[in-house]
Amino acid sequence: MEFPYRHSTGETIGRFLAGLKEQKTIWGQRVAGLGVVVPPVGYSEVDGSPGGEWVAVRPTGTVTAVAKVRQPVAGLHPVDAPFAFVLVRLDGADTALAHVVTDDLDRLRVGARVEAVWRPDGERVGHLRDIATFRMVG
Amino acid sequence: MSAAEPPKEPVKYVDATVRLPYRYVAGDYRATYLRALKDKTILGSRCARTGKVFVPPVVASPESFAPCEEFVEVADRGVVTTFCIVRIPVIGREIELPYVAASVALDGADISIYALIQECRPEDVRMGMRVAAVWKPDGERVGSWEDILHFRPTGEPDAAPATYLDRL
Repeated sequence: MEFPYRHSTGETIGRFLAGLKEQKTIWGQRVAGLGVVVPPVGYSEVDGSPGGEWVAVRPTGTVTAVAKVRQPVAGLHPVDAPFAFVLVRLDGADTALAHVVTDDLDRLRVGARVEAVWRPDGERVGHLRDIATFRMVG
Repeated sequence: MSAAEPPKEPVKYVDATVRLPYRYVAGDYRATYLRALKDKTILGSRCARTGKVFVPPVVASPESFAPCEEFVEVADRGVVTTFCIVRIPVIGREIELPYVAASVALDGADISIYALIQECRPEDVRMGMRVAAVWKPDGERVGSWEDILHFRPTGEPDAAPATYLDRL
């Protein structure tokens, strides 16, 4: 069974994705009460106030949660080989981004330091997976 | 990293196709039925109490609740009992529009199966029309309901309503 969804991104996530594609830059927004939110949603989830200035965060960060998938289902999961869903708090951000780690799973744990691995120029399409994966550093 | 803000022009869409690749366990009855299709044989099961034949075979009659332990072979031809002309594309089905989805009561069966009718104009399909299965060639059948490509008209005279109206 297949559901070919196409989501409308909206202004804020749309510009966040354009930053991945065109600038290889991960952007957040400074939001009242929350600090720098990545990915940005355009408003504060605390008080509803509008998102503030755009802030570029680092492509490196710290893993705050791990869910290892040993037996991925082809076509359903984002990776066909064993991988892990992770939350990464990027350096300069105050919230965590959901993404994947595909290598070094045995060493992967909460607190691990990771770095974004970009898809090459010409292969980035304006999607969260323009960051192909996060890899362990150090 | 030197830009002061992200590009002004947002990405407008993301494609996020969800695939659910189910694999069902067929069970004894359905497995027997599917294996038989490989040999161009369509099996039903007969109700021990009423004698009605169900296709595909069921373990017990949903009508009498009696066991249906006897497998019986039904014909690969039968009669269109009801149908509709499909003019709207369905994602995942690549049949040329318009096409006819029909219920076909196979000779020897007491209920209808779902069937695709081809090799005629949709407007020529009618209740009572005689049709026959068109099978995949030998060597290409794998034991799947797709081993029957479609049904096509046989040209025989139409069946009288009384012979199929209780087999919809």
